[in-house]
Amino acid sequence: MKIALVGQPNAGKSTLFNSVAGYKSETSNLPGTTVKYTESRVRVNGDVFELIDFPGTYSLSATNDAEAEVREYLVSSNIDLIINVIDASQLGRSLPLTLELMELDVPMVLALNMYDEARRKGIDINTSELSGILGIKVLTTIASKNLGVRELFYAVKNIIKNSQQPERKRIRCQKDVEEVIGELEGYLRENLLLNNPYPHRFLATKLLEDDDYFLKSVAGENGTHLSHKIRKLQNRLVQLRGKPQDTVLVLERHTTAMDIFGQVVKIGHPVRDWREKIDDIVMHKIAGYVILVGVLVAFFYGVFEFGAIVEGFLLSGFDKINAVLPLYLDSNGFSFHLVKALLWGISGGVAIVLPYLIPFLVGLTLLEDMGYMPRVAFLMDAFMHRIGLHGTAVIPVVLGYGCNVPAVMATRILPSRRDKIIAGVIASMVPCSARSVVIFGLVAFYLGPLWAFFIYLFNIFVIASSGKILSHLMPEVSPGMVLEIPPYRMPSFNVIKKKTWFRIKEFITVAWPLLIAGSLILGMMEYFSLDHWTNLALSPLTAFLGLPMVVGTTLIFGVLRKELSLIMLTQALGTTAVISVLTTTQILTFTIFVTFYIPCVATMAVLSKELNRNWMLITVGITLSIALVLAWIVHISGVFLL
Amino acid sequence: MEIEKIGRQMKSLLEVPSNRHVKIVSIIGGKGARQILAQLGVGVGSTVMIRRNAPFAGPLLIENHGTSIAVGRGVAAKILVEEV
Repeated sequence: MKIALVGQPNAGKSTLFNSVAGYKSETSNLPGTTVKYTESRVRVNGDVFELIDFPGTYSLSATNDAEAEVREYLVSSNIDLIINVIDASQLGRSLPLTLELMELDVPMVLALNMYDEARRKGIDINTSELSGILGIKVLTTIASKNLGVRELFYAVKNIIKNSQQPERKRIRCQKDVEEVIGELEGYLRENLLLNNPYPHRFLATKLLEDDDYFLKSVAGENGTHLSHKIRKLQNRLVQLRGKPQDTVLVLERHTTAMDIFGQVVKIGHPVRDWREKIDDIVMHKIAGYVILVGVLVAFFYGVFEFGAIVEGFLLSGFDKINAVLPLYLDSNGFSFHLVKALLWGISGGVAIVLPYLIPFLVGLTLLEDMGYMPRVAFLMDAFMHRIGLHGTAVIPVVLGYGCNVPAVMATRILPSRRDKIIAGVIASMVPCSARSVVIFGLVAFYLGPLWAFFIYLFNIFVIASSGKILSHLMPEVSPGMVLEIPPYRMPSFNVIKKKTWFRIKEFITVAWPLLIAGSLILGMMEYFSLDHWTNLALSPLTAFLGLPMVVGTTLIFGVLRKELSLIMLTQALGTTAVISVLTTTQILTFTIFVTFYIPCVATMAVLSKELNRNWMLITVGITLSIALVLAWIVHISGVFLL
Repeated sequence: MEIEKIGRQMKSLLEVPSNRHVKIVSIIGGKGARQILAQLGVGVGSTVMIRRNAPFAGPLLIENHGTSIAVGRGVAAKILVEEV
């Protein structure tokens, strides 16, 4: 049984998905968290379902890449049933998508999610009446608390297995508009040449909505007669409603939805909502920015203070183990080098990465799930305009602080290709959690947190300048920001725990083994003096930046995973007391270089997929040159000033 | 009818101060922003509330049927409204 979870952004599709599939799809209180679909085989009430979690979509007219993908997939693959997930507190706004989905003639169930929130807002939905109007089974769920989920899947099974589907009702528009749709629908039924998978009425609506995709694919292949027909009927719609043809039907669906909403909903007295009051301050034109800076500083120092204490404690432990090692093994022998290299790899992960990574990810999850990120987009809109983008582009950029890979994917929520390219390139320059580990573990730990803070600020400055230059090279008016601001939500402890684990798991299962293997390779290279050759090959670079020759090899490993360069740096230098062998300038030069140079392989892969190979290569070129120039400037000014 | 429209006070969304209700008369420009707004239920004929419009300071915040929407100043300039 193939089940699709479809709904508007931030309705809780992924939360519902995770409640039955385990934590597999990232969730947050941020419209557009899911940009690609996640599939999973799940077992609920003893039945096996193939469940697909789709990105949120406001409608089936694709205004961005993520939405286009939903529509493609929904029609082209044989889906047995659609679970239309709806934020119950936003029922009126969500129903237009339901009406569109009904046109696809696929069995459907409505899940009124976040039902508790609707109740708090004083919204009382008569579900049986709603079900009667639509001819669709309606259930209520609170996915975050796992309530109503089993009942939902029980109903899904009954519909598919026993065809216990209520009789589907046809929801029609008002008579005058309906006549226009009917005329095109009839025309398509008789004259359509190509074999199309879409129901005729759905197709007629999309063509009348001026949907570029269908105009090109259907009208293009069916000759000018159809195009004339469409044009003529569109004009009639414009005359009837006095609105541009591309929005008549969309707004018509909204009117119908509001009608239904009015019939099934009683609005009582909402429990006083403190959240709007908070927004008056959080999104205030002055206080908002003060809070933003405060949040960032608190976040930064919180992560650092926690990480530094743990790092110091753990490193001293590993140093003790290292100190006693020569007592048991011959310090010139092969096995000594092997064990030592292994120890470097393990201690690097435990003592250097995890102490910063865990608080960093917990903090980021908190901010995302509370719903602070869209507020950041709101506050940053003016700033983003300065660099030629708009507020929506903040979302990929802030996601980049977690990991650049989902950040580059998130550029799919931007409607224009040009915005997508610029946001993708600058998102890959944001210091991700792996690079933050280098900044925290090296700069903050040895030189003090102020230096690290300065690096972050400097990075923002460089990103802004790069964005400015890129948008200057690609002049085009971007469509501007239209972004829904979701209400604040209290993240549950359980979700934070699972989401942080979901992200850390990636480090433990992928990066850490790589790190240990890398340490072993470096250890062997050192034992057989092979590292001499790679270091020699990179010596022009290291000499140019005034770095010791031994760090050369670590820079190669850094392309695989950014954390590797820090951990292998300590190994290459042969000590964790980095400050005793490197000068302040050298530490800063190294960090600046690692922060900016070449995105890691995973980011490169996603860049070529989302933008294209050329843009990936351009990004590599840009970041490498920026890294070289900046690191050199740091090196030179260090020589003169410090 | 046309004369009546011009006769009434028509202005861009940018010129409307906070906490006013306005009716959208027209959305000029390309269909990009217009369609995204329509998906959120905002289009010609809708009545929306301006929750925040700080002059020269970032986007506007408008409310439509309980949904808060941030609208960039560029987009807002293209939305023509009349106060109700």
